[in-house]
Amino acid sequence: MKHMKPFHWLAIVLVLGALTLSGCKTEHRFVKKTAFKDMDKIVITFAGPVDEAWATNTANYSVYEEPDPDIVLTPKEATLSPDRTKVTLTFPEALNTGEAHILSMTDILSEGKHLGPALLTVKKLYLGVLFTLLLGAALINNFVFTKYIGLCVFFGTSQKRSTAIGMGITFTIVIVFAAMMAWALYQFVLKPFQLTFLNIVVFIGLVSLSVQGVDTILRKVNPMLFKAFGVYLVLVIANCIAIAVPLMLADNEYNAWESLMLALGAGVGFLIALFLMACAREKLELANVPPTFKGLPIAFVTAGLFALAFLGFSGMSIY
Amino acid sequence: MKEILKITFALTVSCLIAAAVMGLTFTVTAKAKKHNEHMNVQETMQGLLGYGKNNPVPEDMTFHSVYRYIIEEGENKYLGYMVPVAEGSEEGYVLVLLDLGGNFVKKLDLTISPEAAQEEPEREAALKAVLDPSAHFTYGDTIVIAKRGEKRVAYLLPGEFPGFKTFIQVMLALDPQFTILGLEIMEHEEDPGLGGEIVQEYFKNQFRDKKFDKVKALKVVKVPLPEEYKKYLEKKKWKEGMFTEEQIQEIRKKYEDKDIYALTGATISSRSVTNGVKNMVKKFAYRVGKLEDALAKQHIQAAF
Amino acid sequence: MAATTKSNKQLVLDGVLKENPIFRLALSMCPAVGISTSVMNGILLGIAVLFVQVFSSCTISIIRHYIHPRIRIPTYTLTIATWVTVIDLVLSAYFPVAYKAMGIFVKLIVAFAIITMRLEMFACKNTLEKSFWDGLGMGLGFMFGMVTLGFVRELLGSGTLLGHDILGFRPLLFFILPSAGFFVVGLMMGLFNWVDVVYSRRKEG
Repeated sequence: MKHMKPFHWLAIVLVLGALTLSGCKTEHRFVKKTAFKDMDKIVITFAGPVDEAWATNTANYSVYEEPDPDIVLTPKEATLSPDRTKVTLTFPEALNTGEAHILSMTDILSEGKHLGPALLTVKKLYLGVLFTLLLGAALINNFVFTKYIGLCVFFGTSQKRSTAIGMGITFTIVIVFAAMMAWALYQFVLKPFQLTFLNIVVFIGLVSLSVQGVDTILRKVNPMLFKAFGVYLVLVIANCIAIAVPLMLADNEYNAWESLMLALGAGVGFLIALFLMACAREKLELANVPPTFKGLPIAFVTAGLFALAFLGFSGMSIY
Repeated sequence: MKEILKITFALTVSCLIAAAVMGLTFTVTAKAKKHNEHMNVQETMQGLLGYGKNNPVPEDMTFHSVYRYIIEEGENKYLGYMVPVAEGSEEGYVLVLLDLGGNFVKKLDLTISPEAAQEEPEREAALKAVLDPSAHFTYGDTIVIAKRGEKRVAYLLPGEFPGFKTFIQVMLALDPQFTILGLEIMEHEEDPGLGGEIVQEYFKNQFRDKKFDKVKALKVVKVPLPEEYKKYLEKKKWKEGMFTEEQIQEIRKKYEDKDIYALTGATISSRSVTNGVKNMVKKFAYRVGKLEDALAKQHIQAAF
Repeated sequence: MAATTKSNKQLVLDGVLKENPIFRLALSMCPAVGISTSVMNGILLGIAVLFVQVFSSCTISIIRHYIHPRIRIPTYTLTIATWVTVIDLVLSAYFPVAYKAMGIFVKLIVAFAIITMRLEMFACKNTLEKSFWDGLGMGLGFMFGMVTLGFVRELLGSGTLLGHDILGFRPLLFFILPSAGFFVVGLMMGLFNWVDVVYSRRKEG
């Protein structure tokens, strides 16, 4: 039972996190939910039935993008669902769903009662944004195959599947630690004191520090695990991704959750890339490769094929 | 113990030396960086208006910047335009507050010079000095107005919109009737060879000479780019006598009302740029109209 | 490896050919794949690496007697990071366009295994003069690799060289596509191996 504990904690943290993140904010008690639909629609869900004459009158709604309060978008059509609780606003042109939209409604009429006007924020679910970021870093913008970062360690440790998995897991743990520390240091020290030119030095120092930290903790807490993964720890410092992730989250001004997702995505993406490559290279061992191409050259060509395949993910977005 | 002290000392000294070297470089380069960035923007603007090495900017050409802020005072939201005004021979700035419908609210005098106004922190300090302490403001965008003598020749709009992968930063030039004079891609991260082709003349020059009415409904078509149009668009490759003056006029007329031809293998990038430009022009035209109305009604003598 | 006995010329030549960091040592591969799409990129990143390598080698060589063996690696990292910051600031200030093209790779020089390796294996044991030539050789070798890759990819991919139109058409668009970097590097490595094999066979008779 004892070693279950960390997982319990992890589960609790994740659930709490999910709750705070998805806590969809609507500023009117009668409105349950607002959301984008397709590219040009906004759906408003009410807590009870609303009057049809009020709901289908487009003049009752006005919408603007948060950064452009002066440019009002008027829906061309408002339709009410049969149970009279859902209004779908259709706009003449595609909405920029990346931005939050402010929707204001005139006095809501529900079965003859006046419920007062409402001012609502329509935006993508934050959890969806985070998920996109995670999947983006892991697959769509895979660091190895689409950004070409971290290749030295990638080619060095992708000969065998067991090595690949060990390296991938160790790297993921270290990168999450390092990235979170880098985020805190950047947001609370480097940026306020205008020391951003020290980014490179500080981040490389943090990566070394987290490698050392994970090394010490693992050695004490779980010597078995250390025996399996310890050898990869040193290699993490030489991995460009470990320094690229902190630099990217500083450049993009990500917040703590987004940074966590980026780091996790980078780690998982590296693991995926290593595993795929290791599978291919184990088979390559058996193939009859021209002597001058044995080893690294053919591995590069194989990686090129993977990169071409990953190009197919390019530009994909989930939400 | 002595060993540890020694190590600590050595590390401290090396860190201090390293910090000194970096700090020194930073102070030296920071100024040059700002200057070069400014020059780069300036050159792009002039390039869009057709000036360059062989065709220097005329003496009587002036550029004036208007900065737009969104100002929130409690429940109320305003648009705050920092408008350059001529005060004798000097140029100063006033802050014109408009409500969301574009009606004039009030005018506040700012103490900031045009040079200082180029820096965001300076602008913020000037705004803080005149606005209510509880007011909250966020930067919107900048409009640059090019004037030759007393005549307004162009609007230059820096802008940013989402591309296929990340953001695309552009500079757009419009004439006073909002016909596009030119488009320049400042920064992008599209795939080289595919979406990266948006920087090529045969794509970005397609936006030239598109009239406002056309831009409002501009679309992307997946049709191969006609050969003669491609030749016409690639201005840098023009050779002596390739086109006569009549031919140029003819081709321009012919393609003026056409939509944008998509790049092969990069329809989404083409569409992003087209929609981004369309939205920029539409928003700008709407806002500049409201601003000019307010300025004219209040008899504010703007420098542009 | 004790203090070297090689001549200065030999040190530089070794760095460019026999111990070429990209094609022979297979270190610092990221930029070789990522931004070798044009000759210009190759030259600029080459210069940046050359600068960092030479200055770090010289710095370490000067202070080699004062470095406490237990903080050897942190000292190397600090030295490299300092010079990378310097070149990063200078490039972003004076060559903004080129700097944007190279993106994050200038900053990533800090994690290049090749530089740390040269410091550990060479600069901490040799005199300033030898370290300078060794650093120069390694830097030039890297630049040579990048320019070769850039040459092949730019000429075949977009039919231009240094931005000038050479061929007037695009023979193989594939070469300029992002993922083609892997193929070109793989093929070049194979080529280098082949030349090596042929050369040594001829030597044996």
